[in-house]
Amino acid sequence: MAQVTQALPRPKQAPWQRRNLKNIVLITLASVLPSLLAIAITVAFSIDGAIGLVAVFLPIQILATVAVGQYLYKKRGRQDAVLMIFTIFFSTLVVVLLTSVLVSVFQRGAAMMRLSFISQNATYISSTTSLDYGGLGHAMLGSLAIVGFTTLVTVPLGVGVAIYLTESRSGSRGIVRSLIQSMSGLPSVVSGMFIYSALIVTGVSHQIGLTGSLALIPLMLPTVARVCEEALRLVPGDLRSAALGLGAPSYRMFLQVVLPAARTGIITAVLLGVARVIGETAPLLLTVNAAANTNLNIFDGPIETLPTFLFRNLSYGTDNSIQRAWGAALVVLFLVLIIFTLARTVGGDKKVAKPKKRK
Amino acid sequence: MNLSTATSHLRSEDINVWFGERHVLADVNLDFPSNQVTALIGPSGCGKSTFLRTLNRMHELIPSAGLAGSVLLDGQDIYGDGVNPVDVRIKIGMVFQKPNPFPTMSIKENILSGLKLSGRKFVNGDDIVETSLRRASIWNEVKDRLGEPAISLSGGQQQRLCIARSLAMEPEVLLMDEPCSALDPGSTRRIEETIEELSEAMTIVIVTHNMQQAQRVSHQTAFFLAEDGNPGTVVEFGSTDDVFNRPVDARTNDYVNGHFG
Repeated sequence: MAQVTQALPRPKQAPWQRRNLKNIVLITLASVLPSLLAIAITVAFSIDGAIGLVAVFLPIQILATVAVGQYLYKKRGRQDAVLMIFTIFFSTLVVVLLTSVLVSVFQRGAAMMRLSFISQNATYISSTTSLDYGGLGHAMLGSLAIVGFTTLVTVPLGVGVAIYLTESRSGSRGIVRSLIQSMSGLPSVVSGMFIYSALIVTGVSHQIGLTGSLALIPLMLPTVARVCEEALRLVPGDLRSAALGLGAPSYRMFLQVVLPAARTGIITAVLLGVARVIGETAPLLLTVNAAANTNLNIFDGPIETLPTFLFRNLSYGTDNSIQRAWGAALVVLFLVLIIFTLARTVGGDKKVAKPKKRK
Repeated sequence: MNLSTATSHLRSEDINVWFGERHVLADVNLDFPSNQVTALIGPSGCGKSTFLRTLNRMHELIPSAGLAGSVLLDGQDIYGDGVNPVDVRIKIGMVFQKPNPFPTMSIKENILSGLKLSGRKFVNGDDIVETSLRRASIWNEVKDRLGEPAISLSGGQQQRLCIARSLAMEPEVLLMDEPCSALDPGSTRRIEETIEELSEAMTIVIVTHNMQQAQRVSHQTAFFLAEDGNPGTVVEFGSTDDVFNRPVDARTNDYVNGHFG
């Protein structure tokens, strides 16, 4: 009989996790001392904080980490140290920048949060009216109507382009792909100018919600088409072969195999598209007439949107209107958050039952 | 080449294949009689998988593909005018090298996917699922978990599921492209047993790199070879016993005895 192997408790440290006191002390010193030294120098020479961060702290920190890396692990430690400091420094920088934007919007916008601000519109409200009266309800609804219509038109178009690019063998795919890519670099104000000169100056239409939607479509289309194309491209060729090998016509192969497999990616494409246009201001300033009252009809009359509400209040320049602009910024952030969460929950929902725990 | 062509079920006539301007397969004439297992052997790059894909018109899905010659199924050219490749692929099923169950579908849905994908109406779905899984000898392993995702199965089970998926379509011919190359010996043995049982009901063509497997499962064997950048050709074709034990061509002898390739 072979001896039965006994299960052992897991050791506290794996071979690559071994630390001794000397290492710990050195690494702690290398992490703490440079920042203290950098602060001291910055204060002593009264250097500007941002310059001090990049010109004083970063070099000192790199030198210190490289020295410790060299001492502990030789050449490997040296290279490791440089890469590690750059990675941590710049990723922290990005996180801090983004967080500070969010924090300032929350700080200044939170003061504005009250039911009336969300539910009321801006009829009879001037830039000096008390903050307890008037709100951006009309702008939220207008934004939803305009962006909603834009999405309704753009998603079939964008998905269609993506299908053409991934599923067909047409020779002109290269041209279409280049066009879509160059469209994504289109300045949004140009899109607004185009609709303004083509439809409004020529008298075809007044400045209504629909013209705003039309100006947003060229901005949303490249995002939807490109992300969607990536999602479809990620579906393995094996699955297409499997479906075709079973005798599926191409359209059924696409609808029943490729599309479900790419579903999450396509939802992401739509989301990114909505996020791309929901904060667009310039094209709407040119193509949509401002309104203080609630208007849901994008085919007639002036209509307000969140970004134009924000822009106009900012341009009035009074304390109250700037406070309203911050409130609007916070509402836009929340709206995007809600849309993302909603679509993620709907999109993450799996059709196939999860495997049961087996005994 | 002493096999009768009178009962031949599937037959290739002067199949030539190009990728772009490159001629990769020349003058392949093979007969696949009913209820026989034919093994296609040869070194990598000799065109045997490509040839297999010409037999159910999967080859033409590659954008640069070119072809001359014909493939006759019961005397009808599957490349003839007005023949829908979709109908060809329903009659001539295919199992691929890598198991490729549909990841968004459950085990049961995978089995029925062929019927749904080809737009066929069916009523007794549960019966079809059970019969197909039994014929692929995987029923006992999955009968209690038909609703689970197909990708929760092991590699060997996934491949047998893919075979069952093809069987649900009741094909006349089953093409297998190295179906065991990614599997362990136990799963390989079970699939070989399945092939043997299936050959009673259909014609099977299998590409394999495994000499023992070719000898175990096939009735006849074709040896493909592409030499020095020339297009691949069939060097020897005959009963498996003859090809392995009494090869006519010296190159076949070298290959089946492991001297090259």
